[in-house]
Amino acid sequence: MLLKVKDLSKTFIVGLLRKKEIHAVRKVSFNIKKGEFISLVGESGSGKTTTSRMILRILKPSSGSVIFEGKDPWALHKIEDLKWYWKQVHGIFQDPFASFNPLYKVDRILYQTFNLLNIESDAEKEHLVKESLKEVGLRPEEVLGRYPHELSGGQRQRIMIARCYLLKPKLIIADEPISMIDASTRAGILKLFSDLRNNYGTSVIFITHDLGLAYYVSDRIMIMHNGSIVEEGTPDEIMEHPKHHYTMRLKEDVPLLYRKWKGF
Amino acid sequence: MSTLLLEAERVKSYYHTREGTVKAVDDVSLDVENGIILGLAGESGCGKSTLMNTLMMKIRPPLYLVDGEIIVDGERISKMERKEIKKKIWGVKISLVPQSALNALMPTKRIIDFIRDVVKFHVDVSDGEIVSMARKRFEELNLPEDSLYLYPHELSGGMKQRAVIAISTLLNPKLLIVDEPTSALDVSTQKRVLKLLLDLKKFKIIDSIVFVTHDIAVLRQIADRLVIMYAGKIVESGTLEDVLSNPKHPYTAGLIHAVITPEPEIRKRGLVSIPGEPPNLINPPSGCRFHPRCLHAMPICKKVVPELVDISNGRKVSCHLVKA
Amino acid sequence: MIPPILKNLLRIKKFDISVSIILFITLVGIIGPFVYTVDPTALHAPPEVPPNNKYPLGTDSYGRDLLAQLLHGIRSSLYIGLTASLISLAIGVTIGAVAGFKGGITDDSLMLVTNVVYALPSIMLMMLIAAYLKERNPLFVALIIGLTSWPWVARAVRSQLMSLKSRDFLAISRMAALSDLKIMFEDLIPNMASYIFMAFVLLMSGAMIAEAGLSMIGLGVTRGVSLGIILYWAQLLESVRRGLWWWFIPPGACLVSLATSMLLLSTSLDEYFSPRLRGR
Repeated sequence: MLLKVKDLSKTFIVGLLRKKEIHAVRKVSFNIKKGEFISLVGESGSGKTTTSRMILRILKPSSGSVIFEGKDPWALHKIEDLKWYWKQVHGIFQDPFASFNPLYKVDRILYQTFNLLNIESDAEKEHLVKESLKEVGLRPEEVLGRYPHELSGGQRQRIMIARCYLLKPKLIIADEPISMIDASTRAGILKLFSDLRNNYGTSVIFITHDLGLAYYVSDRIMIMHNGSIVEEGTPDEIMEHPKHHYTMRLKEDVPLLYRKWKGF
Repeated sequence: MSTLLLEAERVKSYYHTREGTVKAVDDVSLDVENGIILGLAGESGCGKSTLMNTLMMKIRPPLYLVDGEIIVDGERISKMERKEIKKKIWGVKISLVPQSALNALMPTKRIIDFIRDVVKFHVDVSDGEIVSMARKRFEELNLPEDSLYLYPHELSGGMKQRAVIAISTLLNPKLLIVDEPTSALDVSTQKRVLKLLLDLKKFKIIDSIVFVTHDIAVLRQIADRLVIMYAGKIVESGTLEDVLSNPKHPYTAGLIHAVITPEPEIRKRGLVSIPGEPPNLINPPSGCRFHPRCLHAMPICKKVVPELVDISNGRKVSCHLVKA
Repeated sequence: MIPPILKNLLRIKKFDISVSIILFITLVGIIGPFVYTVDPTALHAPPEVPPNNKYPLGTDSYGRDLLAQLLHGIRSSLYIGLTASLISLAIGVTIGAVAGFKGGITDDSLMLVTNVVYALPSIMLMMLIAAYLKERNPLFVALIIGLTSWPWVARAVRSQLMSLKSRDFLAISRMAALSDLKIMFEDLIPNMASYIFMAFVLLMSGAMIAEAGLSMIGLGVTRGVSLGIILYWAQLLESVRRGLWWWFIPPGACLVSLATSMLLLSTSLDEYFSPRLRGR
């Protein structure tokens, strides 16, 4: 088992005088095997992003545990251990513009990864950066030395994926990586994820609100609602025999291309 | 032959910016017949929202109507004074629910007060009449009447969107334009909003709808006709069935192939993406604007702008591959 | 080579106009006293002479040369504005940054202090401090203004930092195991630089107005001149009623155009840095 998530919860406390607890994630548990492609599907506010940030060791869980290869990332504090963790588990976010610090050239995103890798020679770094860009379908001379606002959303998201090609992590958590990408260029970006899985055995947690996307790309789908995982199964199980009423409603309400809704 | 509610003839509307002229709508002709739901699909930045604003004559610098005519229900609004359009056209003959409609309501006013202001601008009626009119309409559309007395922040996103649509159609305009009304909503709320639009038409509150979105699967559920826009131009239009089952323009085909829905057919056919990226509209490609990304591009595509030609019964395509 | 950011800024008309006005008045204030070397405090000219060849801006009721007064006045007003704004910027940014970055109890207590200072009527505070001091040189006046006008900077910097902290690029840098210090200096501070600069411009215009305000109620500098002091004397001797326009119009115009163009400058920077306001 690559990753075990057990009873993971996050409670936010808001308000100064009248404190109110918001249970963003409630006792989420799941496991991921090596090379598995799973999707976490839920609407906005379902807690899927919070879950991903807790696994990425960015947002501290209120309770529960994350165990990756036998270690709890939240118990790691030494910089060397943290480097190991983020080399193995890496994330990609929804908004390819917000992922870049607008003041720096896009090169920074890629060269940052050498902080996690043991590579000294500058020539080799440059070579690896260029290779990674080629692997995600970009021409290095077209993107290196440019600022984020000079590139399109698709190009920026490809650079974020190039970062993963440099690191070759064992687990990638991709939070809505294509929802802000033009429809006509989405398929190419999706393919990069399946290539990573096929070529390097990378596991992927794909976080999305789009059931169609999850159905298309994943081995297993987990449906999240109000902070809990309400159902999980293979894409066909979920679509053909949904058990939880929320999944049923979701399935009913997703617009389809080849079928028309009843009563419409 | 059905009558035309809206005719746009060779419309050009450009943004004049510091960086240059953005040809957001370039030589677009579009008709909307009485009694249909017209779906307009295109990617972000293709000019679809600008086209809608232009059809409404909601034109403010840096956007300028450079050329073309717009006729709404027999009135040539492209020549009208803005004041007159505001009073006689908007909300009365044609209404637009813009993309940012969720913020359109006044945060300091209850829904009913907002409605009162809007209605009073157009017609001279008493407060009591307005209230009973609004209540009746909300009841008819199956919207909770209590929400009339709430402030916008007390409504959920979906309810707010439905309220905005109900308010926009309170004066029974003939045509309603909705711009990406559901893209910020989750699927169940989206379905409710779509149902509301169908109800408006069923109850003859409005005659026709123009639905603008990037989501073809949504249009599949409600539209009668489909118009595909790319880089400021219409590339193809026709009945929904025709366009979806037999796309003539390579871009239309590509767009349909990029749709992802949870259906076995999608898995079988796979996803195909169009190479390259949508062009910058300050400096669009010569000839056919799609040619740099087109797998079937020929030498002529680079030089000559293809006309949007009628190939049969209102099916129009703008591509050198297709002959009339 | 002009850096691209400056080139873009120069395309904004408001920016050009405001910067030229500020630069012009500043240069006049700096170079002027060296060129026109009349002592602004000397009382040897005939009183209340309108502008003429000998006294280009006329003289006041005590026979002081008003051009000399204006040149020195601009200089010390700018000095007070600059010093005061740097003082409040230093305090405000430090408190705001620490509160925003640390969060928790540190944040709560720092913000409590800030809010208390914020709630105190600053003009009262300034009057109290100023009245207590028998002798007030420009540095003292700058200190008084600087020490009372930082709270809004602290609050603004804190909220900026809070919103920056939740930005994705911070998470991206964190996942590259960059240290807190490196994140602070590479990701956070540079992204606030434009904001801090805008605060600086606003503070400076506020400080110059505050200086004039203090002077007008008789609590300005006790030695030397400032724009506020000229206006104070002009007001005291009823120059407006008596039609001695050359006494109050030049310093008033300088003060107003400096303060206005600084506000304009900060608006134009705001427009440039926040695309929401950019006229597209």
